[in-house]
Amino acid sequence: MENPLHHFEIHPIIHLSLMGFDISISKAIIAMWVGLSIVFGLFMLVVKSGVRIVPGKLQIVAEMSLGFIKEMVEEFIGKKDAPKYFPFIATIFFFILSCNLIGMIPGSYTITSQLVVTGVFASGIFILTLFIGFARHGLRFFGILVPPGVPKIMIPIMIPIEIISMIARPVSLAVRLFANMTAGHTILYVLFGLALSTPLMIGWLPFGFTVAINGLEIAIAFIQAYIFTILTCVYIGDSIHLH
Amino acid sequence: MPQFEQIEVFHSLIFWSLISFAILFFLLKRFAFPPILEILEERENKIRSEISDAEKLRQEAEGIKADLGRELKSAHEKAQIIIQMAGDESKKIQDKSINETQVKVRQMLSDAEQEIEITRNKLLNEIRGYTAALTMASTEKILKKALSDDDKKRLIDESIAEVLQEMEKQKS
Repeated sequence: MENPLHHFEIHPIIHLSLMGFDISISKAIIAMWVGLSIVFGLFMLVVKSGVRIVPGKLQIVAEMSLGFIKEMVEEFIGKKDAPKYFPFIATIFFFILSCNLIGMIPGSYTITSQLVVTGVFASGIFILTLFIGFARHGLRFFGILVPPGVPKIMIPIMIPIEIISMIARPVSLAVRLFANMTAGHTILYVLFGLALSTPLMIGWLPFGFTVAINGLEIAIAFIQAYIFTILTCVYIGDSIHLH
Repeated sequence: MPQFEQIEVFHSLIFWSLISFAILFFLLKRFAFPPILEILEERENKIRSEISDAEKLRQEAEGIKADLGRELKSAHEKAQIIIQMAGDESKKIQDKSINETQVKVRQMLSDAEQEIEITRNKLLNEIRGYTAALTMASTEKILKKALSDDDKKRLIDESIAEVLQEMEKQKS
């Protein structure tokens, strides 16, 4: 059987470069664009067909998803600051969700299975939380390294622990999404490979598993997008409210 | 793993994912989110105002219900008073009518008694006249002579007394 990780390889389709950097367009990029276009297209379909007080089916879905994210942002960031951060958080959710789901189509690619992509987003969010924290609280933001109620004698121990914990945030955020997507697709690839390479009388078993795992993967696509988004809210909320 | 080995595609992935995210962010923020969030808020406000209106209407309805209840109670009390008054009035009229009837009956009774008394006296006088004439005639026939005035008077009085006694006996 072929290496199950082989399908994560990226081969440029259109070769491009910018200031000496290779920015070639590959299957992964195109799949991402397709996913993002579907998301934007669905939203525009709702908007162009006219949003109404009594909503249609598609408007209900759009409203439910935005309402859900809005509540999450209000809960962790606060009602006052929620409108400012809502578009960013909602875009993160739909970006990750569309990238996760588009990879479920056979022959497509999940760009969130690339650690470099999830790492860039996680790092970006981490830098953003630092920026928000220092902009809001100045040097008092270092207080985030000292949890409330810690005895003074413990502070020298707590600060390194908190620094490690802070650095672990973007790492865990990036690795969680990347690992979930990679693992799911690898399992699917292995099971499907088994189904194809074995006789029909045995092959139906891994094929059946493929169907079940596919359903599970769709759920994981939603769950991982949700986890990434909610943790982003929590980290931004922590920077705004400190302890 | 290709994700760690294909370093040459990292620039491309980072560049396009960030650019794509930025474009999606701009497009969604500019065109998609505002109308949907506005309608959500509008609906929320509408529902809130309608709940508030419904609450006001409910309070008003309760007020009207209480007023109606009071008015109904008052009307009921008035009706009771009117019924009571009508009953009293009818009793008065009934009593008055009975009294008048009783007075009339008593009057009629008295008139009848008076009439009877007059008739009785008249009859007695007539009887007395007849008795006197009869006594005189029968006595004169028996004695074959004329009586003196004193005898006549005495005989008449005795006869009348006897007749009257006889009548009283019969009556009792």
